[in-house]
Amino acid sequence: MSASPLIARLVDALRCLPGVGPKTAQRMAFHLLERNRDAARELSKVLEEAMVRIGRCESCRTFSEDPRCPVCTARDRDPRLLCVVETPADMAAIESVTGYRGMFFVLMGHLSPLDGVGPAELGLDRFQKRIESEGIDEVVLATSSTVEGEATAHYLAEMVRERGIRATRIAQGVPMGGELEFVDGGTLARAITARRDVDV
Amino acid sequence: MIRTERIDLEPAFVLHSRRYRETSLLIEAFGHDSGRLAVVARGALRPKSRMRGLLQPFIPLLISWRGRGELATLTAAEAQGEIVPTQGSATLIGFYVNELLLHFLHRHDPEPDLFETYRRTLQRIALEEDPEPSLRIFEKRLLQATGYALQLEREAKSGARIVPDARYIYRPDSGPEPWDPRRHSGAGISGETLLALSEERLSKRDTLREAKQLMRRVIFAHSGEKTLISRNLWRRRRSSDAA
Ligand SMILES: [Zn+2]
Repeated sequence: MSASPLIARLVDALRCLPGVGPKTAQRMAFHLLERNRDAARELSKVLEEAMVRIGRCESCRTFSEDPRCPVCTARDRDPRLLCVVETPADMAAIESVTGYRGMFFVLMGHLSPLDGVGPAELGLDRFQKRIESEGIDEVVLATSSTVEGEATAHYLAEMVRERGIRATRIAQGVPMGGELEFVDGGTLARAITARRDVDV
Repeated sequence: MIRTERIDLEPAFVLHSRRYRETSLLIEAFGHDSGRLAVVARGALRPKSRMRGLLQPFIPLLISWRGRGELATLTAAEAQGEIVPTQGSATLIGFYVNELLLHFLHRHDPEPDLFETYRRTLQRIALEEDPEPSLRIFEKRLLQATGYALQLEREAKSGARIVPDARYIYRPDSGPEPWDPRRHSGAGISGETLLALSEERLSKRDTLREAKQLMRRVIFAHSGEKTLISRNLWRRRRSSDAA
């Protein structure tokens, strides 16, 4: 079937969404046209507004339409605790399932010299200003458990410790419900290296 | 001629990987017999993929792949033997070593000796207090394997033997020439350093410093005068060093 030019454009545009191929995009387009025009209008309005207004929080670098995001401006959080994550999604995950009530810093990536991502691209000048000026006691390094994530954590830990501040790394190893036999070698090796005493 | 290849359980390392399509990884690997190769690991980014934790730099792997021409498909990967946990600054140095390999290795040029050197270098930088001697030896052997061998025993023009007590100027394209304070700037490089590098005995402090400066210039010249980004990451650790 050959669609009208406008429908074709819509289908094409929907394909920018992750995991959406041509078939799915076409199904979405017809669904919106057939049964959900109001929701679609709202979607297009919010999308437009969000793309214009949402920038970066000047304090933690997560997405925010205000100069400082709600987490950074909340009064009931512990300003002496700073958690470094790679993405806004990581920040949201920690917010929603842990009891963490400190502050955040979002790198928007990790050190990856072979992709041209160095300290400047991760906003580490901004990070340095924060740890030097905000009276932080502990920096929690919650970068991912990949080689790049580890290297990033190490690099940050050196920056933090040079300034007499405690740096901690989130624990890593065997996942909950994980049977050892099925855990990959890299994870298992790390879990053995980072073993700890059993609390009795 | 394009032929379909099928390789089973080849010792290999991941040098670099990036996302490919939704859930796959495009991996630049260094195989013992295949040299540098590009393989796609399909589905490696799916949450339940067992390959995900494994397909990382610095983990000794056995990989199986098949494919035609430039891009092959990874069919299996398993850890080979002991995994040396590379941590901290060793990882940053490892990035530099990988960046060097990606610069100098051509696809499908078998380099089994260099592969062994690479494997040992990774172990050394993870375990040794001072990684610099191992790094210099790796750089020297990498240049040698990829057609840029340093000339360390004889002068470029005259062919005269290098003398430990003499000083030289090293030209990246041709080799050492006698250093002449009236014609050359800087302090040149000592014959002792050239010979130490040739024999891979790098222990003295001055020798190491000179060897580092020499390697830096030669690598810069042969990598299209492109600065290697990862070099700057661990340099800050010893800002006093003339790195
Ligand atoms: Zn914020």
